[in-house]
Amino acid sequence: MALRRYTGSVDGTIPIPALLYNDEELLASQENIGIYSGLQKSPDHQAGSVHVTSHRLFYVDSHKASSRSFAMDLSHVTRTDHYAGLFTSSPKLTLYLAASNYPSSSANSRNEPANVFESWECEVCSYRNPPGLSPAAANVCALCGVPRSAVPAPTSRAPFPAKQLSSSLPASSLSSTTSSATSSPAPPIASDLVACSACTFLNHTSLRICEICNTPLPRPAIDARKSMKSAPSSRPISPALSEDGNDPMQHILKLSFRKGGDKAFYAVLKRALKSQAWEGKGIGKNARRGSVTRGSMTPEAASGPVVRRTGIDGILRTVETSAQNSESDLSNALQDLEALMVKAKDLVHLAAELNEKLTASSTITTQPPRAPTASPFSSSYSSTSTPAPSNAPLFSTTTLVPSTEPEEAAFIRSSLSQLGLQMSNAPVTMDMIRDERSWIEELARELAGVLQGSADGLAGNKTGKFIGIMKERGIVALDEVWGGWNRARGVALIPPSTFLQTLPHLPAYTSPPIRSRVFKSGLSVLHTPPYTHAAFASRLVGTLVMAGPQTGAQIAQEENITMGLAGDMIVAVEADGEICRDDEGASIKGGGSGSGVEVRWWVNIFRDYMWDGQD
Amino acid sequence: MSFTTHTTRSGFLLPSIHSVPPFFTEQPNPTTQSQNISQWTRLILAYARHRRLFVLRLEDAETSGGDWDEVLRNERINRRVLPSHLSAIMESMITNGQAVYEPPKQTRAVLLYWRLPEEWAEVLHSWATDTANLNTILTFYEITDPPVPSPLSDIPITLLRRVIAVLAKTGRAQVISTGRTGSGEENEGVRFFSGGK
Repeated sequence: MALRRYTGSVDGTIPIPALLYNDEELLASQENIGIYSGLQKSPDHQAGSVHVTSHRLFYVDSHKASSRSFAMDLSHVTRTDHYAGLFTSSPKLTLYLAASNYPSSSANSRNEPANVFESWECEVCSYRNPPGLSPAAANVCALCGVPRSAVPAPTSRAPFPAKQLSSSLPASSLSSTTSSATSSPAPPIASDLVACSACTFLNHTSLRICEICNTPLPRPAIDARKSMKSAPSSRPISPALSEDGNDPMQHILKLSFRKGGDKAFYAVLKRALKSQAWEGKGIGKNARRGSVTRGSMTPEAASGPVVRRTGIDGILRTVETSAQNSESDLSNALQDLEALMVKAKDLVHLAAELNEKLTASSTITTQPPRAPTASPFSSSYSSTSTPAPSNAPLFSTTTLVPSTEPEEAAFIRSSLSQLGLQMSNAPVTMDMIRDERSWIEELARELAGVLQGSADGLAGNKTGKFIGIMKERGIVALDEVWGGWNRARGVALIPPSTFLQTLPHLPAYTSPPIRSRVFKSGLSVLHTPPYTHAAFASRLVGTLVMAGPQTGAQIAQEENITMGLAGDMIVAVEADGEICRDDEGASIKGGGSGSGVEVRWWVNIFRDYMWDGQD
Repeated sequence: MSFTTHTTRSGFLLPSIHSVPPFFTEQPNPTTQSQNISQWTRLILAYARHRRLFVLRLEDAETSGGDWDEVLRNERINRRVLPSHLSAIMESMITNGQAVYEPPKQTRAVLLYWRLPEEWAEVLHSWATDTANLNTILTFYEITDPPVPSPLSDIPITLLRRVIAVLAKTGRAQVISTGRTGSGEENEGVRFFSGGK
């Protein structure tokens, strides 16, 4: 039966805290519990209290505590089920126990005390591990985390298949007697007293450590009692065990809560199962490892291939494993990107070839095709020192292109440039230039190309279709220029500070000269001569005189500039006193806020006014 | 872009600038604004003289129907003076001594000096001389509301006091307090003297 197979008998007269391992913790207790083994009530265990600890489940019978109590390792439990109860049926908790590798109860119960309650010295660090730890924890050195290897316990505690149980009983009892003989030289005395191995004081059998010197006591008396009590009870049922070992009903243990308390107890039990304290207080205990070892982890396996993660050893292993994991994750993630890069290389190659072909067919001799990797600016600019010659290639190319299929070539080139694959116009970068001064000057030259559209410029192309940012617009805000320039560059973007440094050099490379101007509102613009303050003011006043008062929108439309820009420019003219404003907010009907108040601009009517009214 | 003068119903000849919308807008440019305000000041004082108006209030710009509608509003171009604009104009007039806040310690109403107190003093003295009231005691009421209309008719008492004070300084008038009447009203009189001493 399940009860016999998985549980070990304990002396229920001993208070529960005294039965615990050093690293074990009592979590909850519940009285008035009946036990079902499989589907049947276990007649001997119908009234008692159940205690759940971090490692084990204790049943202490309320009538015959010394003989009918038992303990079961929580590691056997694979899953749990809760039944809330109905009418006269009590709430029940079903524990499904691991079918394959349950330990032989007799071997386990006998070996445990000998193994657990014994101090041992670590081979590696010579640390003397104290007794009283749980089986799993006791198999690993508490200081350095190295598994305990050369001890007789693992060999003697090899798993016993169920079928061999009956035949192995003598052997296990033999091994237990030998181990107890080696560990406790003092032979069991007929009386109830136990001699201390260190000071030979005769202690009471209930004591675990010597009353005098605190040395853990060997427990011959209890061993004797256990063998005395468990052996007869296990023998009659052992044949049945071997027959129905595969019946799932044999792996079920039910707790019947006669007087409630099931829910709280179930919650505690689930938490204890989840925390898997019996697996050792591992450092790198993570979810993955927990799921792998879950259910298969038995005290035997602890000394086997599964490595305990405690101490320095554990830390090192954890670090190693996590490094490996992240490395593999990274390589998996980057595989796609690498594939893309391979493709991109092909694409760039294709673009370069295409570009070369186009250049060869469209231009005859005036413009030799440039190698993609060469620095085009330094080479081309070294020959062109003034803005005027730099426009020459543009002219020549625009006239030459129509000789071949201009539309297709233009389409291909614009497609390429949209893809960022323009080969012949690599941007100027710092490493091409020697000192900062010429770097800024080169940048100014490049910017001039972007603004006015030259063949040598960044965005200039040989089809002549490109129109500089300022080719059709006389005034452009600085942010737009900066954005457009960096978009044309594509790589090695220019920071605003460098951009501002470049601006003063701009008039030297542009024709007509492009200058920068900062408005009162803080707006900075680049503008051509027609948009200087003086030119604009005289033009505005002329318009107002000719066409009468105008709104800002009308002026903006006239000048082909944005409203905001127009507003700033008009306000600058107003500051000169050339014009004055008429606010519709001052109207008698209409006007007012929210009704589209508009300012109309007038020539300054106050300036030359002569009083013609009544005095 | 030519604007013409306009004669109001009260017979006042408005200047051509009154028909130009920017005239009714406060100008951010300080130079333009000062030109604007000086034109306004001139217009307001001229109109006040024309209509014998002594007080200008912000309410006149806020609501219609007052004495100042002909000036502060121009229905023909759909423009009016905003209170903030009028306030700026009033402030400028105070600074130039063309008006005082009346009552003092507020900024919503001004007493217009379309004649300066010194000018008024001359007017008052010549009136007293012409009406043979020298060396006789006159009450303020007799001055502000004479049986025969005079240039001083309806002059505010506060302005009258100031004018008399100007005359008193030069010894051409003397304020005589006659104590309080039964109704608690202060009863004052003034005696004018001929010429300076």
